[in-house]
Amino acid sequence: MACLTDVEIQAIVDGEASEERRGHEVTCERCRARVDERRRDMSAIGALMEGHGHPSPAFAMRLRQAAHAPHVVRGSTVLRPLAGSLRWGRAGWVSAIATAAAIALVVFAILPRFGAPTTLSANEILGRSLQTLSSAKGVELLEYEVAVGGMSHSPVVIRQLIDRDNPGRYRIASYGPDGEIHTAISQDPLTQRRAQLVRVDGVNYIVRVGAIPGPVLSLPQMAQALVETSISMMQAKSDQQLTVEDGPEGRRYVIDVPPVTPANPATTLDIFGARAVISGQDFRILQFDATGMLLKQPFSVSVKLRTHEFIGGPAPSFEIETGPEDVVLEGAAGDDPATELLTTILRELRPARGK
Amino acid sequence: MKALYAPDATRENPLDPQTETLRLYAEHGTPLFRFCRSVTGQTDDAEDIVQEAFLKLLHHLQSGGDRSNLKSWLFTVAANACRDRMRWRVRWMPWRAELDTRTVDPVEHYPDRARARDAFRVLAPRDRLLISLRAQGLSYREMAAAAGIREQSVGRLLARAVDRWKKGFESWLV
Repeated sequence: MACLTDVEIQAIVDGEASEERRGHEVTCERCRARVDERRRDMSAIGALMEGHGHPSPAFAMRLRQAAHAPHVVRGSTVLRPLAGSLRWGRAGWVSAIATAAAIALVVFAILPRFGAPTTLSANEILGRSLQTLSSAKGVELLEYEVAVGGMSHSPVVIRQLIDRDNPGRYRIASYGPDGEIHTAISQDPLTQRRAQLVRVDGVNYIVRVGAIPGPVLSLPQMAQALVETSISMMQAKSDQQLTVEDGPEGRRYVIDVPPVTPANPATTLDIFGARAVISGQDFRILQFDATGMLLKQPFSVSVKLRTHEFIGGPAPSFEIETGPEDVVLEGAAGDDPATELLTTILRELRPARGK
Repeated sequence: MKALYAPDATRENPLDPQTETLRLYAEHGTPLFRFCRSVTGQTDDAEDIVQEAFLKLLHHLQSGGDRSNLKSWLFTVAANACRDRMRWRVRWMPWRAELDTRTVDPVEHYPDRARARDAFRVLAPRDRLLISLRAQGLSYREMAAAAGIREQSVGRLLARAVDRWKKGFESWLV
Protein backbone atom coordinates (compact mmCIF):
# COMPACT_ATOMS: atom_id res chain seq x y z
CA MET A 1 0.00 0.00 0.00
CA ALA A 2 1.25 3.49 -0.86
CA CYS A 3 2.14 5.91 1.88
CA LEU A 4 -0.63 8.02 3.41
CA THR A 5 -1.66 11.35 1.95
CA ASP A 6 -1.83 14.48 4.08
CA VAL A 7 -5.60 14.14 4.25
CA GLU A 8 -5.32 10.56 5.46
CA ILE A 9 -2.75 11.57 8.06
CA GLN A 10 -5.18 14.22 9.28
CA ALA A 11 -8.02 11.68 9.37
CA ILE A 12 -5.94 9.28 11.49
CA VAL A 13 -5.18 12.04 14.01
CA ASP A 14 -8.86 12.99 14.08
CA GLY A 15 -10.00 9.39 14.57
CA GLU A 16 -11.82 9.41 11.22
CA ALA A 17 -9.55 7.09 9.20
CA SER A 18 -10.46 3.62 7.99
CA GLU A 19 -9.03 0.45 9.52
CA GLU A 20 -6.82 -0.07 6.47
CA ARG A 21 -5.19 3.38 6.76
CA ARG A 22 -4.61 2.94 10.46
CA GLY A 23 -3.04 -0.41 9.77
CA HIS A 24 -0.60 1.20 7.36
CA GLU A 25 0.43 3.75 9.97
CA VAL A 26 1.41 0.94 12.34
CA THR A 27 3.71 -0.68 9.79
CA CYS A 28 5.22 2.37 8.05
CA GLU A 29 7.76 4.27 10.12
CA ARG A 30 7.66 7.35 7.89
CA CYS A 31 3.90 7.67 8.05
CA ARG A 32 3.95 7.08 11.82
CA ALA A 33 6.38 9.98 12.20
CA ARG A 34 4.07 12.18 10.09
CA VAL A 35 1.07 11.21 12.21
CA ASP A 36 3.01 12.01 15.38
CA GLU A 37 3.97 15.38 13.98
CA ARG A 38 0.38 16.20 13.04
CA ARG A 39 -0.74 15.07 16.52
CA ARG A 40 1.69 17.60 18.00
CA ASP A 41 0.28 20.30 15.70
CA MET A 42 -3.29 19.51 16.71
CA SER A 43 -2.36 19.40 20.36
CA ALA A 44 -0.71 22.86 20.01
CA ILE A 45 -3.94 24.11 18.43
CA GLY A 46 -5.91 22.54 21.29
CA ALA A 47 -3.72 24.35 23.82
CA LEU A 48 -4.30 27.57 21.92
CA MET A 49 -8.06 27.15 22.19
CA GLU A 50 -7.86 26.34 25.89
CA GLY A 51 -6.20 29.72 26.31
CA HIS A 52 -9.53 31.29 25.36
CA GLY A 53 -10.77 30.44 28.84
CA HIS A 54 -14.37 30.06 29.92
CA PRO A 55 -17.51 32.13 29.78
CA SER A 56 -17.68 34.27 32.91
CA PRO A 57 -19.63 33.02 35.96
CA ALA A 58 -21.92 36.03 35.58
CA PHE A 59 -22.73 34.88 32.05
CA ALA A 60 -23.72 31.43 33.27
CA MET A 61 -25.90 33.05 35.88
CA ARG A 62 -27.66 35.24 33.29
CA LEU A 63 -28.35 32.20 31.17
CA ARG A 64 -29.89 30.38 34.14
CA GLN A 65 -32.02 33.44 34.78
CA ALA A 66 -33.18 33.45 31.16
CA ALA A 67 -33.96 29.75 31.20
CA HIS A 68 -36.27 30.20 34.18
CA ALA A 69 -37.71 33.56 33.18
CA PRO A 70 -41.52 33.59 33.22
CA HIS A 71 -41.54 35.37 29.84
CA VAL A 72 -39.77 34.50 26.59
CA VAL A 73 -36.27 35.97 26.48
CA ARG A 74 -34.84 36.64 23.04
CA GLY A 75 -31.70 38.27 21.66
CA SER A 76 -28.13 38.20 22.84
CA THR A 77 -28.03 41.61 24.46
CA VAL A 78 -31.19 41.61 26.53
CA LEU A 79 -29.56 39.74 29.35
CA ARG A 80 -26.54 41.95 29.62
CA PRO A 81 -26.25 43.79 32.93
CA LEU A 82 -27.98 47.16 32.89
CA ALA A 83 -25.46 49.91 32.27
CA GLY A 84 -24.87 51.82 35.43
CA SER A 85 -27.29 49.75 37.43
CA LEU A 86 -24.69 48.94 40.02
CA ARG A 87 -21.38 50.03 38.59
CA TRP A 88 -18.59 49.42 41.05
CA GLY A 89 -15.55 51.14 39.69
CA ARG A 90 -11.97 50.98 40.83
CA ALA A 91 -12.59 53.20 43.82
CA GLY A 92 -14.93 50.46 44.93
CA TRP A 93 -14.37 50.86 48.61
CA VAL A 94 -16.79 53.75 48.71
CA SER A 95 -19.45 51.41 47.32
CA ALA A 96 -18.27 48.73 49.70
CA ILE A 97 -18.92 51.02 52.63
CA ALA A 98 -22.37 51.90 51.29
CA THR A 99 -23.10 48.22 50.77
CA ALA A 100 -21.82 47.39 54.21
CA ALA A 101 -24.19 49.95 55.70
CA ALA A 102 -27.04 48.37 53.76
CA ILE A 103 -26.03 44.92 54.94
CA ALA A 104 -26.04 46.01 58.55
CA LEU A 105 -29.56 47.30 58.03
CA VAL A 106 -30.58 44.03 56.42
CA VAL A 107 -29.20 41.92 59.21
CA PHE A 108 -31.06 43.84 61.87
CA ALA A 109 -34.18 44.97 60.04
CA ILE A 110 -34.99 42.42 57.36
CA LEU A 111 -34.10 39.06 58.82
CA PRO A 112 -36.66 39.10 61.63
CA ARG A 113 -39.48 39.14 59.09
CA PHE A 114 -38.64 35.62 57.99
CA GLY A 115 -40.03 32.78 60.00
CA ALA A 116 -38.24 29.71 61.27
CA PRO A 117 -36.57 27.57 58.63
CA THR A 118 -38.55 24.69 57.24
CA THR A 119 -37.47 21.13 57.80
CA LEU A 120 -36.16 20.44 54.31
CA SER A 121 -32.80 18.72 54.13
CA ALA A 122 -31.54 21.56 51.93
CA ASN A 123 -32.25 23.76 54.89
CA GLU A 124 -30.21 21.64 57.24
CA ILE A 125 -27.27 21.83 54.86
CA LEU A 126 -27.59 25.59 54.61
CA GLY A 127 -27.78 25.74 58.40
CA ARG A 128 -24.60 23.69 58.80
CA SER A 129 -22.91 25.95 56.30
CA LEU A 130 -23.97 29.03 58.21
CA GLN A 131 -22.50 27.48 61.34
CA THR A 132 -19.21 26.88 59.49
CA LEU A 133 -19.13 30.49 58.34
CA SER A 134 -19.56 31.93 61.79
CA SER A 135 -17.55 29.46 63.85
CA ALA A 136 -14.16 29.72 62.06
CA LYS A 137 -11.09 30.46 64.22
CA GLY A 138 -7.47 31.47 63.57
CA VAL A 139 -5.89 33.27 60.62
CA GLU A 140 -7.45 32.26 57.33
CA LEU A 141 -6.28 32.93 53.77
CA LEU A 142 -8.98 32.79 51.13
CA GLU A 143 -8.80 33.31 47.41
CA TYR A 144 -12.00 33.62 45.47
CA GLU A 145 -13.33 34.86 42.18
CA VAL A 146 -16.07 37.44 42.26
CA ALA A 147 -18.22 38.58 39.35
CA VAL A 148 -20.61 41.42 40.04
CA GLY A 149 -23.15 42.48 37.42
CA GLY A 150 -22.20 45.91 36.07
CA MET A 151 -18.66 45.87 37.52
CA SER A 152 -16.29 47.15 34.86
CA HIS A 153 -13.46 44.70 35.55
CA SER A 154 -15.41 41.59 36.32
CA PRO A 155 -14.54 38.94 37.34
CA VAL A 156 -11.88 39.91 39.83
CA VAL A 157 -9.85 37.66 42.08
CA ILE A 158 -9.94 38.57 45.75
CA ARG A 159 -7.26 37.46 48.19
CA GLN A 160 -8.33 37.87 51.76
CA LEU A 161 -6.27 37.35 54.88
CA ILE A 162 -8.41 37.54 57.99
CA ASP A 163 -7.87 36.96 61.65
CA ARG A 164 -11.06 35.19 62.74
CA ASP A 165 -10.28 35.83 66.41
CA ASN A 166 -9.98 39.54 65.72
CA PRO A 167 -12.32 40.38 62.82
CA GLY A 168 -11.11 43.99 62.58
CA ARG A 169 -7.73 42.65 61.44
CA TYR A 170 -7.58 41.82 57.77
CA ARG A 171 -6.01 42.41 54.39
CA ILE A 172 -8.02 42.24 51.17
CA ALA A 173 -6.67 42.73 47.68
CA SER A 174 -8.44 42.50 44.33
CA TYR A 175 -6.73 41.45 41.12
CA GLY A 176 -7.87 41.66 37.50
CA PRO A 177 -7.93 38.73 35.06
CA ASP A 178 -4.36 39.67 34.07
CA GLY A 179 -3.17 39.18 37.67
CA GLU A 180 -2.59 42.91 38.14
CA ILE A 181 -3.58 44.31 41.53
CA HIS A 182 -6.54 46.74 41.37
CA THR A 183 -7.26 47.73 44.95
CA ALA A 184 -6.26 46.63 48.42
CA ILE A 185 -7.09 47.52 51.99
CA SER A 186 -5.47 46.35 55.20
CA GLN A 187 -6.25 47.08 58.80
CA ASP A 188 -4.71 45.99 62.06
CA PRO A 189 -6.30 47.19 65.32
CA LEU A 190 -3.31 45.79 67.26
CA THR A 191 -0.93 48.25 65.59
CA GLN A 192 -3.76 50.75 65.02
CA ARG A 193 -2.78 51.05 61.35
CA ARG A 194 -4.78 51.00 58.17
CA ALA A 195 -3.58 51.19 54.55
CA GLN A 196 -5.34 51.37 51.20
CA LEU A 197 -3.99 50.84 47.72
CA VAL A 198 -5.50 52.10 44.48
CA ARG A 199 -3.89 51.45 41.12
CA VAL A 200 -4.20 54.30 38.61
CA ASP A 201 -2.55 54.29 35.17
CA GLY A 202 -0.22 51.48 36.16
CA VAL A 203 0.98 53.12 39.38
CA ASN A 204 0.07 51.92 42.88
CA TYR A 205 -0.91 54.72 45.26
CA ILE A 206 -0.84 53.64 48.88
CA VAL A 207 -2.39 55.71 51.65
CA ARG A 208 -1.34 54.76 55.17
CA VAL A 209 -2.80 56.06 58.39
CA GLY A 210 -1.94 55.39 62.01
CA ALA A 211 -3.79 55.70 65.32
CA ILE A 212 -7.08 54.55 63.83
CA PRO A 213 -9.95 55.09 66.28
CA GLY A 214 -11.89 52.10 67.59
CA PRO A 215 -14.19 50.32 67.19
CA VAL A 216 -12.93 49.55 63.69
CA LEU A 217 -15.02 48.52 60.75
CA SER A 218 -14.57 45.00 59.39
CA LEU A 219 -15.31 44.65 55.68
CA PRO A 220 -14.90 40.83 55.69
CA GLN A 221 -17.41 40.58 58.51
CA MET A 222 -19.84 42.68 56.55
CA ALA A 223 -19.37 40.64 53.40
CA GLN A 224 -19.91 37.54 55.52
CA ALA A 225 -23.06 39.12 56.91
CA LEU A 226 -24.33 39.51 53.34
CA VAL A 227 -23.73 35.84 52.60
CA GLU A 228 -25.25 34.80 55.94
CA THR A 229 -28.26 36.97 55.24
CA SER A 230 -28.65 35.56 51.75
CA ILE A 231 -28.41 32.00 53.05
CA SER A 232 -30.96 32.75 55.73
CA MET A 233 -33.21 34.10 53.01
CA MET A 234 -32.63 30.97 50.95
CA GLN A 235 -33.61 28.93 53.99
CA ALA A 236 -36.83 30.91 54.23
CA LYS A 237 -37.82 30.13 50.64
CA SER A 238 -40.02 27.08 50.18
CA ASP A 239 -38.92 26.03 46.70
CA GLN A 240 -35.29 25.11 47.26
CA GLN A 241 -33.96 22.30 45.12
CA LEU A 242 -31.20 20.09 46.41
CA THR A 243 -28.88 18.11 44.16
CA VAL A 244 -26.16 15.87 45.52
CA GLU A 245 -23.09 15.55 43.32
CA ASP A 246 -20.44 12.92 43.95
CA GLY A 247 -17.29 13.85 42.06
CA PRO A 248 -13.56 13.20 42.30
CA GLU A 249 -13.26 15.97 44.88
CA GLY A 250 -15.91 14.42 47.09
CA ARG A 251 -19.54 15.12 47.73
CA ARG A 252 -21.04 18.51 46.98
CA TYR A 253 -24.50 19.80 47.73
CA VAL A 254 -26.03 22.14 45.17
CA ILE A 255 -28.95 24.15 46.46
CA ASP A 256 -30.95 26.23 44.02
CA VAL A 257 -33.66 28.71 44.66
CA PRO A 258 -35.24 29.06 41.21
CA PRO A 259 -35.46 32.65 40.00
CA VAL A 260 -38.72 34.51 40.49
CA THR A 261 -39.51 38.14 39.83
CA PRO A 262 -41.61 39.45 42.69
CA ALA A 263 -44.06 42.22 41.94
CA ASN A 264 -42.99 44.25 44.96
CA PRO A 265 -39.40 43.53 45.91
CA ALA A 266 -38.30 44.34 49.42
CA THR A 267 -36.94 47.85 49.82
CA THR A 268 -33.51 46.95 51.11
CA LEU A 269 -32.54 43.49 49.92
CA ASP A 270 -34.43 40.82 48.08
CA ILE A 271 -33.08 37.64 46.55
CA PHE A 272 -34.82 36.60 43.33
CA GLY A 273 -32.71 33.56 42.63
CA ALA A 274 -29.73 31.95 44.29
CA ARG A 275 -27.48 28.95 44.12
CA ALA A 276 -25.08 27.64 46.74
CA VAL A 277 -22.59 24.86 46.14
CA ILE A 278 -21.53 23.47 49.51
CA SER A 279 -18.75 21.02 50.29
CA GLY A 280 -19.95 17.70 51.65
CA GLN A 281 -16.80 17.42 53.78
CA ASP A 282 -16.86 20.56 55.87
CA PHE A 283 -20.01 22.37 54.68
CA ARG A 284 -17.91 25.25 53.42
CA ILE A 285 -19.49 27.31 50.63
CA LEU A 286 -17.60 26.62 47.40
CA GLN A 287 -19.71 28.78 45.14
CA PHE A 288 -22.49 31.25 45.70
CA ASP A 289 -24.53 33.00 43.01
CA ALA A 290 -27.41 35.35 43.67
CA THR A 291 -29.53 37.84 41.80
CA GLY A 292 -31.88 40.30 43.37
CA MET A 293 -32.38 43.88 44.42
CA LEU A 294 -30.15 45.77 46.82
CA LEU A 295 -31.31 49.25 47.78
CA LYS A 296 -33.75 49.17 44.85
CA GLN A 297 -30.94 48.45 42.40
CA PRO A 298 -30.78 45.12 40.53
CA PHE A 299 -27.67 43.14 41.32
CA SER A 300 -26.12 39.86 40.36
CA VAL A 301 -23.13 38.42 42.13
CA SER A 302 -21.19 35.23 41.72
CA VAL A 303 -18.53 34.18 44.21
CA LYS A 304 -16.40 31.11 43.68
CA LEU A 305 -13.88 29.86 46.22
CA ARG A 306 -10.53 29.06 44.62
CA THR A 307 -8.31 28.25 47.56
CA HIS A 308 -8.61 28.27 51.30
CA GLU A 309 -6.10 27.60 54.07
CA PHE A 310 -5.56 28.23 57.73
CA ILE A 311 -2.20 29.81 58.53
CA GLY A 312 -0.55 28.16 61.51
CA GLY A 313 2.47 29.39 63.46
CA PRO A 314 3.33 33.05 63.98
CA ALA A 315 0.71 35.50 62.68
CA PRO A 316 1.60 36.84 59.22
CA SER A 317 1.86 40.55 58.49
CA PHE A 318 -1.40 42.21 57.59
CA GLU A 319 0.38 45.20 55.99
CA ILE A 320 0.15 45.99 52.27
CA GLU A 321 3.61 45.40 50.86
CA THR A 322 5.07 48.30 48.90
CA GLY A 323 7.17 48.12 45.75
CA PRO A 324 9.92 50.55 44.65
CA GLU A 325 7.65 52.21 42.07
CA ASP A 326 4.71 52.70 44.46
CA VAL A 327 3.67 56.14 45.68
CA VAL A 328 3.16 56.03 49.45
CA LEU A 329 1.23 58.80 51.20
CA GLU A 330 0.93 59.13 54.98
CA GLY A 331 -2.44 60.43 56.09
CA ALA A 332 -4.49 61.01 59.21
CA ALA A 333 -7.07 58.56 60.47
CA GLY A 334 -10.67 59.48 59.67
CA ASP A 335 -14.08 58.09 60.43
CA ASP A 336 -13.93 55.59 57.57
CA PRO A 337 -11.43 54.38 54.95
CA ALA A 338 -13.11 56.19 52.07
CA THR A 339 -12.82 59.59 53.76
CA GLU A 340 -9.20 58.90 54.71
CA LEU A 341 -8.31 58.09 51.14
CA LEU A 342 -9.98 61.17 49.73
CA THR A 343 -8.68 63.67 52.30
CA THR A 344 -5.10 62.37 52.10
CA ILE A 345 -5.05 62.68 48.31
CA LEU A 346 -6.64 66.14 48.39
CA ARG A 347 -4.08 67.32 50.96
CA GLU A 348 -1.29 66.10 48.68
CA LEU A 349 -2.87 67.94 45.77
CA ARG A 350 -2.78 71.31 47.48
CA PRO A 351 1.05 71.82 47.57
CA ALA A 352 1.23 70.40 44.05
CA ARG A 353 -0.98 73.28 42.89
CA GLY A 354 1.31 75.77 44.68
CA LYS A 355 -1.22 76.89 47.30
CA MET B 1 -14.16 25.84 35.65
CA LYS B 2 -16.21 23.01 37.00
CA ALA B 3 -19.56 22.30 35.48
CA LEU B 4 -22.36 24.17 37.19
CA TYR B 5 -24.73 21.33 36.58
CA ALA B 6 -23.86 17.69 36.85
CA PRO B 7 -24.32 16.05 33.45
CA ASP B 8 -26.52 13.39 34.97
CA ALA B 9 -28.59 15.72 37.07
CA THR B 10 -31.48 15.89 34.65
CA ARG B 11 -31.55 12.42 33.21
CA GLU B 12 -34.55 11.80 35.46
CA ASN B 13 -36.49 14.52 33.68
CA PRO B 14 -35.22 14.66 30.11
CA LEU B 15 -38.24 16.51 28.80
CA ASP B 16 -37.84 19.67 30.84
CA PRO B 17 -36.41 22.20 28.31
CA GLN B 18 -34.96 24.54 30.96
CA THR B 19 -33.02 21.84 32.75
CA GLU B 20 -31.97 20.24 29.48
CA THR B 21 -30.66 23.61 28.23
CA LEU B 22 -28.65 24.15 31.40
CA ARG B 23 -27.33 20.59 31.28
CA LEU B 24 -26.19 21.15 27.71
CA TYR B 25 -24.62 24.44 28.75
CA ALA B 26 -22.64 22.61 31.44
CA GLU B 27 -21.50 20.09 28.87
CA HIS B 28 -20.90 22.26 25.80
CA GLY B 29 -20.87 25.86 27.06
CA THR B 30 -17.10 26.15 27.39
CA PRO B 31 -16.20 24.39 24.09
CA LEU B 32 -18.80 26.51 22.29
CA PHE B 33 -17.46 29.68 23.88
CA ARG B 34 -13.88 28.76 22.93
CA PHE B 35 -14.99 28.02 19.40
CA CYS B 36 -16.76 31.38 19.06
CA ARG B 37 -13.90 33.23 20.77
CA SER B 38 -11.47 31.61 18.39
CA VAL B 39 -13.48 32.43 15.25
CA THR B 40 -14.54 35.98 16.15
CA GLY B 41 -11.45 36.95 18.16
CA GLN B 42 -13.68 38.82 20.62
CA THR B 43 -14.79 37.71 24.07
CA ASP B 44 -17.93 39.88 24.07
CA ASP B 45 -19.00 38.63 20.66
CA ALA B 46 -18.36 35.05 21.76
CA GLU B 47 -20.50 35.44 24.89
CA ASP B 48 -23.30 37.04 22.88
CA ILE B 49 -23.27 34.25 20.33
CA VAL B 50 -23.17 31.50 22.95
CA GLN B 51 -26.02 33.12 24.82
CA GLU B 52 -28.06 33.51 21.67
CA ALA B 53 -27.38 29.88 20.73
CA PHE B 54 -28.58 28.57 24.09
CA LEU B 55 -31.67 30.79 24.05
CA LYS B 56 -32.49 29.45 20.60
CA LEU B 57 -31.92 25.96 21.94
CA LEU B 58 -34.36 26.63 24.76
CA HIS B 59 -37.02 27.76 22.30
CA HIS B 60 -36.22 24.81 20.05
CA LEU B 61 -36.78 22.39 22.94
CA GLN B 62 -39.84 24.24 24.19
CA SER B 63 -41.43 23.95 20.77
CA GLY B 64 -40.73 20.21 20.69
CA GLY B 65 -37.80 20.37 18.26
CA ASP B 66 -35.61 17.42 17.32
CA ARG B 67 -33.24 16.31 20.08
CA SER B 68 -31.16 13.83 18.12
CA ASN B 69 -27.84 15.71 17.92
CA LEU B 70 -28.06 18.87 19.96
CA LYS B 71 -24.30 19.34 20.15
CA SER B 72 -24.10 19.58 16.39
CA TRP B 73 -27.21 21.77 16.39
CA LEU B 74 -25.57 24.20 18.85
CA PHE B 75 -22.32 24.42 16.91
CA THR B 76 -24.22 24.95 13.65
CA VAL B 77 -26.24 27.82 15.14
CA ALA B 78 -23.07 29.32 16.65
CA ALA B 79 -21.07 28.94 13.43
CA ASN B 80 -23.81 30.73 11.47
CA ALA B 81 -23.93 33.48 14.06
CA CYS B 82 -20.13 33.84 13.91
CA ARG B 83 -20.28 34.12 10.13
CA ASP B 84 -23.06 36.73 10.32
CA ARG B 85 -21.12 38.72 12.82
CA MET B 86 -17.91 38.59 10.81
CA ARG B 87 -19.82 39.64 7.68
CA TRP B 88 -21.44 42.48 9.57
CA ARG B 89 -18.07 43.58 10.83
CA VAL B 90 -16.59 43.50 7.34
CA ARG B 91 -19.54 45.44 5.95
CA TRP B 92 -19.58 48.15 8.54
CA MET B 93 -16.16 48.18 10.08
CA PRO B 94 -13.41 47.29 7.62
CA TRP B 95 -10.37 46.29 9.60
CA ARG B 96 -7.65 48.86 9.74
CA ALA B 97 -4.62 48.30 11.89
CA GLU B 98 -4.59 51.83 13.27
CA LEU B 99 -8.23 51.54 14.34
CA ASP B 100 -7.97 48.13 15.94
CA THR B 101 -8.48 48.93 19.61
CA ARG B 102 -8.96 45.37 20.83
CA THR B 103 -7.23 44.78 24.11
CA VAL B 104 -4.09 42.74 23.95
CA ASP B 105 -3.87 39.43 25.70
CA PRO B 106 -1.81 39.13 28.86
CA VAL B 107 1.94 38.81 28.43
CA GLU B 108 2.77 35.32 27.26
CA HIS B 109 5.05 33.12 29.27
CA TYR B 110 5.48 31.01 26.16
CA PRO B 111 6.38 33.15 23.14
CA ASP B 112 5.59 30.19 20.84
CA ARG B 113 1.98 30.33 21.90
CA ALA B 114 1.76 33.99 20.95
CA ARG B 115 3.21 33.15 17.53
CA ALA B 116 0.82 30.25 17.15
CA ARG B 117 -2.06 32.58 17.91
CA ASP B 118 -0.81 35.23 15.50
CA ALA B 119 -0.55 32.61 12.76
CA PHE B 120 -4.10 31.50 13.56
CA ARG B 121 -5.50 35.04 13.45
CA VAL B 122 -4.34 35.64 9.89
CA LEU B 123 -5.98 32.48 8.51
CA ALA B 124 -9.00 32.74 6.22
CA PRO B 125 -12.35 32.61 8.07
CA ARG B 126 -13.18 29.11 6.81
CA ASP B 127 -9.80 27.76 7.95
CA ARG B 128 -10.32 29.28 11.38
CA LEU B 129 -13.83 27.87 11.53
CA LEU B 130 -12.78 24.32 10.64
CA ILE B 131 -9.77 24.25 12.95
CA SER B 132 -11.84 25.68 15.80
CA LEU B 133 -14.61 23.13 15.30
CA ARG B 134 -12.14 20.25 15.27
CA ALA B 135 -10.33 21.59 18.33
CA GLN B 136 -13.62 21.41 20.23
CA GLY B 137 -13.88 17.72 19.45
CA LEU B 138 -16.50 17.71 16.69
CA SER B 139 -16.58 14.78 14.30
CA TYR B 140 -16.26 15.34 10.55
CA ARG B 141 -20.01 14.84 10.19
CA GLU B 142 -20.74 17.46 12.85
CA MET B 143 -18.17 19.80 11.35
CA ALA B 144 -19.75 19.45 7.91
CA ALA B 145 -23.16 20.36 9.32
CA ALA B 146 -21.81 23.34 11.27
CA ALA B 147 -19.63 24.67 8.46
CA GLY B 148 -22.14 24.01 5.68
CA ILE B 149 -19.81 21.84 3.59
CA ARG B 150 -19.89 18.24 2.39
CA GLU B 151 -18.68 15.66 4.88
CA GLN B 152 -16.31 14.20 2.29
CA SER B 153 -14.57 17.57 1.96
CA VAL B 154 -13.92 18.11 5.67
CA GLY B 155 -10.70 16.10 5.94
CA ARG B 156 -9.13 17.73 2.88
CA LEU B 157 -10.09 21.28 3.89
CA LEU B 158 -9.06 20.74 7.49
CA ALA B 159 -5.69 19.24 6.53
CA ARG B 160 -4.99 22.24 4.31
CA ALA B 161 -6.10 24.67 6.98
CA VAL B 162 -3.75 23.09 9.51
CA ASP B 163 -0.94 23.17 6.92
CA ARG B 164 -1.51 26.88 6.33
CA TRP B 165 -1.55 27.55 10.07
CA LYS B 166 1.69 25.60 10.52
CA LYS B 167 3.36 27.39 7.64
CA GLY B 168 2.38 30.72 9.15
CA PHE B 169 3.57 29.64 12.57
CA GLU B 170 6.95 28.52 11.22
CA SER B 171 7.37 31.73 9.25
CA TRP B 172 6.97 33.64 12.55
CA LEU B 173 9.79 31.60 13.98
CA VAL B 174 12.21 32.57 11.22
